[in-house]
Amino acid sequence: MIEENLSIWSLIVNASLLVKLVMAILFIASMMSWVMIIQRGLVLSAAQRNFREFEDTFWSGVDLNSLYNELTQKAKQEGGGDGIENVFRAGFREFNRLAQVNGSDPDAVMQGTDRAMRVALSREDEKLNTSLPFLASVASVSPYIGLFGTVWGIMNSFRGLAMVQQATLATVAPGISEALIATAMGLFAAIPAVIAYNRYAAVTESLNSNYETFSEEFSSILHRQVHTN
Amino acid sequence: MRPVQSYAIAVVASVALHVVVVGALLANWQPDTARIMVQPQFIEAKLVELAPKAKPKPPAPQKPKVDVAKKQNDEKKRLEKLAADKKAQEKKRLQQEQLKKAEQAKKEKQRLEDQRKAEEKKRQEKAAAERERIEAEFAKALEKERSEVTAKNDERVANSYRQLIQQRLSENWSRPPSARLGMETLIRIRLVPTGRIVGVTVLKSSGDIAFDRSVEQAALKVEQFVEIQGMDPGLFERKFRQVDVAFSPEDLRL
Repeated sequence: MIEENLSIWSLIVNASLLVKLVMAILFIASMMSWVMIIQRGLVLSAAQRNFREFEDTFWSGVDLNSLYNELTQKAKQEGGGDGIENVFRAGFREFNRLAQVNGSDPDAVMQGTDRAMRVALSREDEKLNTSLPFLASVASVSPYIGLFGTVWGIMNSFRGLAMVQQATLATVAPGISEALIATAMGLFAAIPAVIAYNRYAAVTESLNSNYETFSEEFSSILHRQVHTN
Repeated sequence: MRPVQSYAIAVVASVALHVVVVGALLANWQPDTARIMVQPQFIEAKLVELAPKAKPKPPAPQKPKVDVAKKQNDEKKRLEKLAADKKAQEKKRLQQEQLKKAEQAKKEKQRLEDQRKAEEKKRQEKAAAERERIEAEFAKALEKERSEVTAKNDERVANSYRQLIQQRLSENWSRPPSARLGMETLIRIRLVPTGRIVGVTVLKSSGDIAFDRSVEQAALKVEQFVEIQGMDPGLFERKFRQVDVAFSPEDLRL
C-alpha cells in the first residue's frame, strides 16, 4: 500500500538536515523577535503614557522642588526611574547644585544644567532604542535565510530528479513543497519584525523629540529664574 | 513597568502565539488529497454464518389437579375418578416422554449441525491461509525471475551496444606507423544520454605515445554514437556513463 503523507509536519520531518537547521533558526528568530516586539510595545506605550502624565503634572503649576522630591522618591522605589522624569531630575539637580554656589555665573549655571540634561537625554534615547537593531536584522535577514533553505531543498530535489527515468510532477512536487516551507517561515518571521521595527522607530523618534522639546522648555524656565534672581 | 516583568509577559505571549500558530498549521493543514491509497485488487470473501435461533421452550405442561378433598364424600366416585386420573396421568406422562424425546433428538441434531458448521469454517479458513501463502510465494518467485530476466536482458543489450562502440572506434582509427602487435591502450570514454562523447582519457598507456594518440583521435572522430539515444535511460546510467575500452591492434601482423 502506497501512502504519501503531505501534511506540514511530515514535510518538516522529512526535510534534509540543512533545511531543518534553517527552519530551526527561523523559528527561534521568530520567537525572539516576537518577544522583542511585545516587550518593546509594552515599554514604549508605558513611556508615552508616562510622558503625558508627567507633562500634565509639570504644567499644572506644581512646585518644582516638591515635584523633584516626589520623583526622586519614586525613582528610588522603582530603581531607576523612567524617561522624561530622569531628564527633569538630572537638569534640576544640576541646576540646584550650581545655583547654591555663591557668586556663580548665571551663564555657567545654565550651561551645566543643559549639559546634564543632554546626557540624560542621550541615555533615554539609548534605552528607547534597545533591541530595535535586533528587529531590523531579523526583518532583513530572515527572508534570505528562508530563501537559502528553499534553494537548497529545490537543488536536492532536482538532483534526485536527475536519477529518475520518468519525471512526473509528483516526483518533484513534494521536494519543492518541502523546500518552500523554509521561505514561508522566513517571511513569517520577517513581516511582523518589519512592521514592528517601522512602528517602534517612529514612536521612539516622536518620544525623543518630545523629550527634547520638554528639556528646552524646562531650560528656558530655569534660565528665566537664574536671570531674575 | 519593570523590565523583568515586561520581558516575562513578552516571553509568555510570544511562546503562546507560536504554539497557537504551529498548532493551527498542524491541525488544519492536512490536505484531503494527501493520502493516495492503492486498494488491493481482490475481493474479500467472508464467511457468513446463519446461526439458527434457539427455539422457545414449550411451556411446561400443567399438572392435573388431583382432588382429594372429596374423598369421604364418595368412595366410588373417588375410585372412579382415581382410575380416570391415573389413566389421564399415564397418558400425560407418555405424551411428555414423547415430547422430551423429540426435543432431545432435535437438540442432538442441532449440536451435530453446529459442530459440522464450525469444522467447515475452520477448514475454509485454513484453506484460505494456505492459498494466500502459496500466492505470496508464487509472487515472490515471479518477481525474482523477472528481475533475473531483466538483468540478463540488460546484459545482452549492453553487449550489443559495446560491440557497436568497438566497431565505430575501429572504423575511425587510423593506424600509426609505430603500431605493433601486443600493444594495448585502455581509454575511458564519457558519454551523455544523446550519445555524444564529452571526454576521452587514457587510463593505461601502451607505452607508445603515437599509438595512444591515434586511439584518442579515433574516439574524438566518432564524436557521437547516435544509436545510444534509443537506449533505456536506466541502462545508460548504470553502464554507459563511462565506457572503458581496451584497444589493441590484433589484426596487424607486425
